[in-house]
Amino acid sequence: MKALSQVVATLSHVPGVVAAMVVGATDGLIVETSPVMGGAAGSRDPRKHTAALAAYLYSKVTRASDAARLGTPAFMRLEAERGHIFVVGARDVVLVTIVTTDANLGRVRLEMMNEARDNS
Amino acid sequence: MSDPTVAESWVAAPLTRLKDDARLISGVLLYPSGRAVGQFGFSNAADVMSICALTSAINASARELGRQLDGKPFYEMHHAGVERQVFMARASAGTQEFLFVGVFDRESSFGVVEIYFAEFQQALERLHPEKQPAGVGLAGDFEGELDRSLDALFGPIGKR
Repeated sequence: MKALSQVVATLSHVPGVVAAMVVGATDGLIVETSPVMGGAAGSRDPRKHTAALAAYLYSKVTRASDAARLGTPAFMRLEAERGHIFVVGARDVVLVTIVTTDANLGRVRLEMMNEARDNS
Repeated sequence: MSDPTVAESWVAAPLTRLKDDARLISGVLLYPSGRAVGQFGFSNAADVMSICALTSAINASARELGRQLDGKPFYEMHHAGVERQVFMARASAGTQEFLFVGVFDRESSFGVVEIYFAEFQQALERLHPEKQPAGVGLAGDFEGELDRSLDALFGPIGKR
């Protein structure tokens, strides 16, 4: 199993990843995070809110998936106007990334799935 | 889930929003003296009375404990039980201080409660009236203050 700081460092170096976080699956608190790439000075730090709400959303998605008899969700992608939020579950934590619109989504997804698998 | 009952009308909207956004089961907003300002999730005045007294005492103990251990007071507390969790924190509006205690379960999370409590705190700052109700925060007549606030929340004894 990789150190969580290494997981965050790996994900944050993927082009287009604005921030990568390891978040407690049940409490939504940040366990490990990268800095925010390209964040304007004085702008609000999006990580705490994103981490808490993404973990919460992922727990609801897990229930929806279970209700639909689809099993555990493998990957969650939220597409928004100015980017994406990716979430993958890995045991007691979830990996969360904030990603730009022009990122290689396939590569971000692959890296996240690999990191989740290595930590499961 | 029931709407909040309040002793001061300006806290109704922020409390409702906090309850809904953070998916809290119950909660009480009170002055550090133990006087209740608003509540939701309780139908019994005696429960609110106990919670106010305990929260006030826990807050005083936690502050002193923080001073002893860390040189500064502890202002926030979280207890994770097996089924339910308790979140307790200080809020302020102008110079007036409040305490809040809320209960949540797996429908919410500590992180979610924390972020919506921060918004609740900002709403209190924004909405609080300039003139505070008389007697707020005085420790002299604890029982009388508590009774008056419970009357405001649940009606006078005999009609509760």
